[in-house]
This record gives sequence, C-alpha cells and structure tokens, in this order.
Amino acid sequence: MPQTRSFFRRCWRMVALFIATWWIVAGCSSPSVNTPTSETSPGASPLAGSDLTVGMVMVGPKNDAGWNQAHFEGIQEAIKQLPGTKLEYVDKVNPADRPNVTGAQVADDLIAKGAKLIIFNSDDFKDDALAAAKKHNDVPVLHVSGDYAWKEGKNFKGQPNLTNVMGKMQYGEMIGGCAAALSTETGKIGFLGALINDETRRYASSAYLGARHCWETYRKKPASDLQFKVTWIGFWFNIPGKTLDPTKVADDYFNGGYDVVMSGIDTPEAAVQAKKAAEAGKSAKYVHIDFKGGCNLAPDSCLGVRYYHWNVPYTTTLQNLKDGKPLESFTWLGPDWKDINSTATSMIGFLPGKALGDNQKNIDAFVKSLGDGSIDLFKGPLNYQDGSEFLKAGEKATDQKIWYMPQLLKGMEGPSA
Amino acid sequence: MRVELHNICKRFGSVQANDDVSLIVEAGSIHGLLGENGAGKSTLVKILSGFMTREQGSLQLEGHEVNIKTPADAMQRGIGMLHQDPLDFPPLSVLDNFMVGQPGGLFTHRREVIRKFRQLAVQFNFALDIRQPVGDLTVGERQQVEILRLLSLGVKTLILDEPTTGISASQKDALFAAARLLASQGKSVIFVSHKLEDVDELCDRVTVMRQGRVVGNLPIPAPDAQLIELIFGEELAPPAKNSTCQEGVALALENITIRSDRLNIQVNHLTVQQGEVIGLAGLEGSGQQLLLQLCAGLLQSSTGCLQIKGIDLTRQPYQTYLNTGVGYSPADRLREGLVNGLSIHEHVALKTSSQGWFVDWKGTLKQAQTAISLFNIRGKPDTKVERLSGGNQQRTQLALLPVPLNLLLMEHPTRGLDIGSTLWVWQQLLARCEGGTTILFTSSDLDEIMQYSDRVIVFSGGELSEPIDAKKLTVERLGQMIGGKLHYDSPVMAKRSTKHPAKR
Amino acid sequence: MISKISISRFNVYQVGSLVIALAFIAGVILMVGGSPLAVVTSMGAGAFGTTDQFARVVATLAPLLLCASGLLFTFTAGLYNLGIEGQIVLGGIAAMIPIRLFQEILPAPLVIAMAITAGALGGMLWGLLAGILKVYGRIDEIFAGVGLNFMADGLALYLIFGPWKKPGVASMSGTEQFSEAIWLPTFGKTEASPVALVIALSLLLLTFIVLRGTYFGLKLKAVGHSLRASYILGIPALSQLLSAFALCGAFAGIAGSLQVLAVFHRLIPSISSNLGYLALLIAMLSGSQAWLLLPIAFFFSALNIGSLQLPLSLDLESSLSGVIQGTLVLFALLGRGFSELNKSDLNKTVNH
Repeated sequence: MPQTRSFFRRCWRMVALFIATWWIVAGCSSPSVNTPTSETSPGASPLAGSDLTVGMVMVGPKNDAGWNQAHFEGIQEAIKQLPGTKLEYVDKVNPADRPNVTGAQVADDLIAKGAKLIIFNSDDFKDDALAAAKKHNDVPVLHVSGDYAWKEGKNFKGQPNLTNVMGKMQYGEMIGGCAAALSTETGKIGFLGALINDETRRYASSAYLGARHCWETYRKKPASDLQFKVTWIGFWFNIPGKTLDPTKVADDYFNGGYDVVMSGIDTPEAAVQAKKAAEAGKSAKYVHIDFKGGCNLAPDSCLGVRYYHWNVPYTTTLQNLKDGKPLESFTWLGPDWKDINSTATSMIGFLPGKALGDNQKNIDAFVKSLGDGSIDLFKGPLNYQDGSEFLKAGEKATDQKIWYMPQLLKGMEGPSA
Repeated sequence: MRVELHNICKRFGSVQANDDVSLIVEAGSIHGLLGENGAGKSTLVKILSGFMTREQGSLQLEGHEVNIKTPADAMQRGIGMLHQDPLDFPPLSVLDNFMVGQPGGLFTHRREVIRKFRQLAVQFNFALDIRQPVGDLTVGERQQVEILRLLSLGVKTLILDEPTTGISASQKDALFAAARLLASQGKSVIFVSHKLEDVDELCDRVTVMRQGRVVGNLPIPAPDAQLIELIFGEELAPPAKNSTCQEGVALALENITIRSDRLNIQVNHLTVQQGEVIGLAGLEGSGQQLLLQLCAGLLQSSTGCLQIKGIDLTRQPYQTYLNTGVGYSPADRLREGLVNGLSIHEHVALKTSSQGWFVDWKGTLKQAQTAISLFNIRGKPDTKVERLSGGNQQRTQLALLPVPLNLLLMEHPTRGLDIGSTLWVWQQLLARCEGGTTILFTSSDLDEIMQYSDRVIVFSGGELSEPIDAKKLTVERLGQMIGGKLHYDSPVMAKRSTKHPAKR
Repeated sequence: MISKISISRFNVYQVGSLVIALAFIAGVILMVGGSPLAVVTSMGAGAFGTTDQFARVVATLAPLLLCASGLLFTFTAGLYNLGIEGQIVLGGIAAMIPIRLFQEILPAPLVIAMAITAGALGGMLWGLLAGILKVYGRIDEIFAGVGLNFMADGLALYLIFGPWKKPGVASMSGTEQFSEAIWLPTFGKTEASPVALVIALSLLLLTFIVLRGTYFGLKLKAVGHSLRASYILGIPALSQLLSAFALCGAFAGIAGSLQVLAVFHRLIPSISSNLGYLALLIAMLSGSQAWLLLPIAFFFSALNIGSLQLPLSLDLESSLSGVIQGTLVLFALLGRGFSELNKSDLNKTVNH
C-alpha cells in the first residue's frame, strides 16, 4: 500500500487546488468592470486626427468618494471642455491592489497606447513620475502633490518634462477650522489625521490657525481656552490591524468632549460617527474633506466641506498642450476669492453645511478678509510645537516655509512625526 | 440471534484467507473463535459484519438466508462488530460518539439520547462521563462506549475482535460481565481471540481456525493441550541447525524497560553470543518487534543499559547503531524497509552515499544489476519498489543490508517467499552467522523458528520468557508458552509490568 | 528519465483538461462582458507588444524562477513551503541592511553583492524557522509558513513606518529610494536586468544538477517519499528537511533582494508581489521537473505582465488574469490526477 505517498500527493493537490481556487474566487469577487465612459471608448472623440491622449495613473479606486474620485471627475470635466482630447487611465495602482505593477510601468504602457501627457495623482508616485519622465523625456509628466519640479523647493530634480501641480488646501483648512471653532460648545476640536508628512502637517496646522483666529475674533475667547488635538491613523484610510481604526478615533473624540471632528482622511468615518453620536443625544458635528457631496452623509451634523476642483489645473494643462505652450513647471493654485465655489475657476472651495446655521455670516466675513488680504494667518509671531520659532513677529511665511513645515504649531496637541 | 455461516470462501491474491469455512453460533451463547494471526478469523467476522464481501458461501440469521454487503446491512440485521481499534471519533465527546448513527431526523433528541445512554451504562455497570472527549479515554473505555452505541442500535449479535489486548483487568472483568449479560438476554456473542485463557474463561464453545480452515469445534472447558495442537498443527520440524555460536558476547541487555502505547516490556538480563541466532516466537504484537527496534536503536529504553560488542550504546542516536554494524530489516517493507516511490537502482545508490557529492549513476547501475541477479529479484533497476511483489521486495531489502554486520535484526525474514527462496535466504543469513554476525529474528512460522534458531525467546502479551535452547523445545511447551503460559515449567526470569496480570 | 515523461504524460487527459479549462475561461470572460479573443490578443500584446513589456516579462521571470527552483527542493522533500512569500519579504528586508549601511561608503558592485548575499541569508533564516517549527515544534509547515508570512509582512511594515521611514513621513509607500548607482544594471532603458537573469538561470541549472546528480538530491527524494523508511535506511532525515527549507528560503531571499535591487529600488510593504504564490503553482505544475520550470515560469510571467492590458485596453478587471491563471492550474492538476488514477488502475490489474 503506497499510503504515505498517496497521502502526500493528496495534500499536495489540495494545496494546489486551494491556491488555484483562491485565485479564481479572488478574481471573481471583484468583477467591477470599468464601465466605459464616452471619453474612454475608442472612436468616441469627435476630433480624430488631432487627438490628445491623456494617460492617468491613479493610486486608488476612481469611485472612492474622495481624493481619487475628485481627480477622475476633474480630468473628465477637462476633457469635456476640450474637444479632441481623450483619456486612458489605470486606477488602483498600489502594491496591495496590483502587486508586481509600478506606476512607472503603467506610464510605459499608457505611452505605448499613445498618451501624450501622463498624470500621476499621488505623492506616492514621486519616484515613479521621475523615472517615467527620465525614460520618456519627450512626454510631459504631471505629478500631483509632488515637489520634484519646484525650482525653489528642497527637492528640485531639474527634469525638464516633469511638472508638479497642487492646490492650496491650507485655505480650505482655515475655513474648515473656522467653522469648527464657531460651532464648538466645549472648545475642543478633534482632527482625524491620515499619515504624517509635509502635506498633512501643513493642513492640520492651517486648520488650527483658522480655528484659533475665529475663536478669538468671533467668539471673543482667549486662545488658551481652545483645545485642538490631532490623531493620525497611519494611512489615508483604514487598513484593519495596520492603522488605527478611524471609527474608534472619532468615537473617542465625541466621547471625550470633542464636539467637532475635522476629517483629514479619504473615508467618511467622522461623518458616520457624528451622526450616531448626535442620534444618541450628544452634541457632535463634523467638517468633511475632498468630496464635495460630503455633507449629504449626515446633513444635520455637517458644518461644511473643503474640497478641490481638479478640472481647473487639468483644463489649463491640456489647453496649453494643445496650444503648444510650455507647461508651468510648478503650480500651486489657491481659491478664486471672487467665488471660491466656482467650478470653472476655483481650485479650492468650501461648501457650508446645514449645522453651521447663523455662523454662516461669520464664515462669509472670514473668507472675504482672507480674499482681500486683510487677514494673513501665516504671519508671525508663530512658534512650532516645541517652542522653536516658525515666523518672527510680523514675518510673512514664504511658500517654502508653508510647504515644508517640520512640526505642528504651538498650541496643537498630537505628534509631529 | 442464531447465526450460521456456510462454506465461506475468500481469497486475497495468492492467499486463501477463508477456505470453505462454516460456523454456527447459537442464540444466547458466547462463541470463541481461536487461532494464530493470519488464520482467517478476522476475515470471517469481517464478512459477517459486512466489512468484506465473500466470494462463495451463504449466511443465515435465525434460519433465514440473508445477504450482507455493507456494514449498514449488517447493522440493520442486528450484527455489530467491536473492532480491535474502536472505530470512533476521538475529538468528539462520549455522547456525540454515542449519537452517531442514532435514528432520527435532522435534529437529534439530545435529552432523550442522554437518558438512553445513562440507562444502558447503569445496566452494564460502565462508569462513563458523557462530556469527555473520546480521545482522552483508555482503549477499554472506548470499547465500552462502542458497545453501548451498538446495543442502542439494536444489535442482536455482537462480535468482539481481540478485545482484551491493552485493557485493564477491571475493564476486562466488566467486558466479560457485559458479554455474559448479553448472552443471558438471548443475544449471541462472537469472541475472536488468540488468548487461550480468555476463551477458557468466557466462552461456551470454541471454533479453532488454522490457515483459513476450521480445524476444530469443541465445547469449553477443553484441555489446553488439545487446543494448542489445533492452533499450531500437530508437528513441528525438528531443530536442524548446527550451532553457529562463537566466542564473545555480541549483545548484552541489562534491566531494560520499553514503553509503548499498548505494551510495556521489561528485560532484566539477556546476553547473546557472536554468530548466534535467536528466534523470537509469539503471536504478532506481543512485543517481539519492540525488542528488535530497541536493539536497532529505533526505540530507547527508559532504564538500564545496552551493549553491542562491548560498546555501550544506551541512549545513543540511531546513526551510532548503524556505525556499530547494526542492521534492521522491518516487516513493513513499503513503509519502513524500502522507500516507496524510489527504484531499485535509487535504493542501491542511496547505500553508496558516503562516496562524495555526486552519484555515480553508471557505477551504481552495475551494482544494482549485480544485486538483482545475485538476489534473484524479479525487476529491473528502474522498477519502483512498490511495483515489486512482496517476495521481491524482501529480496531487495536483503540486498540492501550492509556487509559486514555485527548484529542483524530481522522481522519475518522469509514472509511471502516460496520454499526455494526461503532456503536460499537462510543460506545467506547463516553464512553471515559463520562470519560472526548475530541474528535476532521474528517469525510467525514456528517451523522457521525451530529450524534456524540456536535459542528461542517466547513473547506473550509483552511478557518474555527466558531464552530456551531450541533443541530442548517441544511443540507442546512452545504452543502453551505462546498461548500465555510462559512460566509453565520454567523459572521466572523476565517479569513484565503490564497493566493486567493474567488471571486464571 | 526525461524522454519518458514528456510523451506519456501528454495524453488525452491533459489535452482534454486544457480544452475544458480554455472553454471555462472563455465562459467567464463572456460573462463579465468581454471577448475571449480580445482578451487573448490584448494580453499577448501586453506581454510582448513593446520592448518594455517584454523586458518586464523577463524581469519577473527571474524571481519566479528563483522561487520555483527553491520550491523544487521542498517539494522533493515532501514539504509544502507556503512560507515562501515571507521568505521573499525577509530577503528584501535583509538586502536593505547593507544598502542602508554602505551605499555611501563602499563601491556599488560590492554593496550589490552584499545585498544579494544578505537577502539569501535573510530568506534562509526565515525558511529555517519554518523548518524548525515543523521538525521540532511539530507545527505543520503550511500553517507555520502562513504565520511566518504574516510576521514578515508585519516586520516590513514596522520598518517602513518606524526605523526606516523617510524623514518626516509616515506612509505605506515605502522607504526612501536609494541611489541609482546601486540599482541593478538593465538592458537599455528597460527593466530587465541581465544580472538578475544570470543569477536565476544559474541557480535553476544548479537545482537541476543537485536534484538529478547528487546524493543530496537523491536523499531529499527519499525523505520526500518516506520519512520513516529513509530514517531507517540511515538518511539523516531531519537535517535533510531543514536543508530543503534553508535552500528554498535562500533562493526566495535572493528573489526578494532582486525585487529591491532591480524593481522597486526601495523596500515597500508588498515587496513579494505575490510572486511566491505564483511560483508555488509553477513548481506544482512542473511536477518536480527542473527543466520544465523555464517554459512554465515564462508563460506565467507573460500572463502576469500582460494582465495590465485588461483594464487598459478592454476595461476589464486585471484580476481576471487571476481567474485565467487559477483555472489553468486547476484543470492541469485535475487532468494529471485523472491520468494518474487511470494509470494506477491499470497497474493494479497488471499486478494481480
């Protein structure tokens, strides 16, 4: 009886069957076929011949109700504005969703398919963007949120066909922070932060500056009475076991007397938990981010949402390419102060929520002062968390100082790195 | 229930396991089925209980012709078998095991079943905790669970297959009491055993089998001598071997204890000369194999010391035994003796593995061919060993034993070989003895033991006798010793420490 | 030995199972609204359409070959080394150590050599750990391997978020990219590295030689078929098992170091890119025949690379390529199972 042998063979086969089946099941369980849009289906563009194909590499799913969706809708809007352009894209380009695929490889394939402009939509892609730009030095590469093409920045690489675009969300954060400070009854604001880097430190600090200003100006209370706490979960969204659970972080805020939570992550945990806390009779409000429709998640608890209009820079870039104009190597766009919610012109916007109530008038006043320059919150004296000096008295922050903030500001609670 | 089997025949390959066997068991009686391992007892009861199908013959229950093809058929007709290793589910609790196979729909009535179980357990005086996992129970307790389960399913004939191996004396008493109670209720019990004393104590009648045939059917009590003669046959070949003993002690055991799941073996003192052949007689599983594995270095004694050629090898690793010139040839050829899946050539090559990094496939092919012709193996060098017949596997195993050896330990050296091959094998083995190799071997063929041994050690239920000069052995004495009466007329030399001292 | 297999195995069952597998795959593609023909052509184009893509196929081939070669040792020893993923990760982590320590100090070729060696040692350590758990802890190597995979992932995450993080940043995107001098040289501007390919091919050749021609390979085979019998025949079975784990781990570790040196140029959380699991399937399909690894690994590498075209050209999920992969393997194994079943039935009747 060859029992031992046949036992082993059975095992062997079982393992193989298991893996193979797992592969199939894993494949079938996410059969979300990308519905072809009119822009992406070949032959749909009206002006064949003078086609400009844009290749876009997205880090997350194009329908994430956050960062990636904002980009996807932005580029689609831009393409709608400019006949003769079309889009090729790959989303979910990250090691978890697409193992053994790098952003640079996707760029190679997009270029092979005729893309004349490559857009990378995440800070994570900075090395891929540089590699792609070096390899295809005749194709412009637009990297969103990076600084490799910023001549005045710290990491300038001097790659001529690499450009950077970013929005000055610090203004959105200030307005959001102001809305939080106007509405808090306990004087305690919680900031639900993602991972820690220059960008997120900048945003949390801006939110704090806005909150402190409105607390002092409109609520007429001393800054020392305002508590502003930042909790970082470790990534842009919840990865069970690897990040802090944002649901729990939001709950801890609401249970700990923080009656306003500002979301700084891609997913809507702050909104969901605010709604629950409000239903349980607590005073709980939230400020949403990225996704313009964020207040619909819990209208009665929403103070507002700060968001990007990516179509603004994308339209400009595409138009310039079509016209044969050179691209701006580094663009850092702010709001259109005439109408910060203008789809056509304003990179950064703020939509107030129902819960803001009468405070709306103060927000309007605050936005107006920001727009006409009568208020500059990045003006000294300002110190870092550890007490060291950020801005001397009367000193105005340069873009570099704002971009590269090594620490949170004095008066904020939470880790800087 | 009255059970009749008529003219049952069953063949496995070349072995006629049951040859025209008939057996009648009266209702309300306990019927013993006695015989050596391989006599055909198990085959017969497995046919009755549906685990095997017969080739010829008929079955009658209560005088009606029936056809039993599966164990379920048998259960339905009231025949249940308690296997030597209970067929239960160790991780499940006693109650869950009891519930297996209970009638009822999708949902079992747990409370009802518990009541039934308790009632039966009290009736048979079994102390069982229904929540305990069966895996934690002793073999005896597992038997009790199984008996209760079979009874609750309405068994009218209960088959007990070698039930007294490995259970305690009190468990044996409880088992026998239960069997008697069943008989008194008009049920019948078939008691399969190779232990004379148990059959004597329990049975009303006994049927003796040998080599697939019924050789006797008599009421109990019956004289032991008569039973032994029936079990082993009337004649044994006379010892034919000239002594190959040489000066010098090859193997010395002192105060050895071997523990295994079923048996504990105690050897106080044993020395074997160079060139000597010791036959280990006894029913299979009585402890012979444990002693061979101890001497081979595959088992360790918890006490005492073991010397080979004066070298103390107690608790040394197996590799040291191999280096000291110890060879072991196991009975289970395809699991222990040979590597299932490898060819003869590969086996030969493995044996040359001390020679550098690379296998000399050409050279070893020649060696394999030489071995094949020398040992008359019917196979080619690239034949996988599992495709060889049993006899040819045995030849291959012999061909792989190193030369020279100080101590050779063999389980059933000629099992499955024809007479000519047997003679040839022993010729080879005795030639080794002339050269000073000591051989310890087991065999279930008493003729072989008598013919080739200088001295014989008899094993019974883990107990072993003093080595006896083969020339002084008689059939009667050997048979009785194997049947459990080790100390028939010899002074106690090896005292066993088993869980159940023999009761008579 | 070789001539016998190729013909006898390629029988009706194998061809039949291939046909059924292809039909099944076509069905799945139609179900999700694609065209089977378009899928085949676009995946083919995605793997071989441009020099870049072909180079990527070659680049992925190297770690696949390394892992599959390593797995042949464990398969031969009768072991199912599911811990291969973790061994790749440990190789990647270990390779980072000399790079971080010496990239500024020592000449680049030396640092590269040290990184590959460190990778091999790291993978070997992780493989041995699985082996020790199996041999001395009596923990089935499948569970030990899966557990160690989690631990390796955790360790990589800890390093990326902790001691090795980019200054001022705590993010999943990986460690800072290291200096271009230490990247493995490639063919032109593509991603295929001749160094990686040469390492992989020579270790494949080594595997072939060791398994066919050495006592080590023969003993491993014996142990794989019967641990007990091998032990009784005097083969140090346990140390053979441990050696198999160590070798497989070392091979996987080298693959991990190549992922770092040639592909990602930094440590990322999923440095193994599931290539270990893919290699398991390749090794299984090869039926422990080293010479079959090359074509099979090449095929799966092409499938893996070509799958990026599914979302790009056809708006289909690239996980569809997982379905294709899984189905092919499943039916190939079933086909082999059936043909063996048939053969053994035949043997039985011949013997009796």
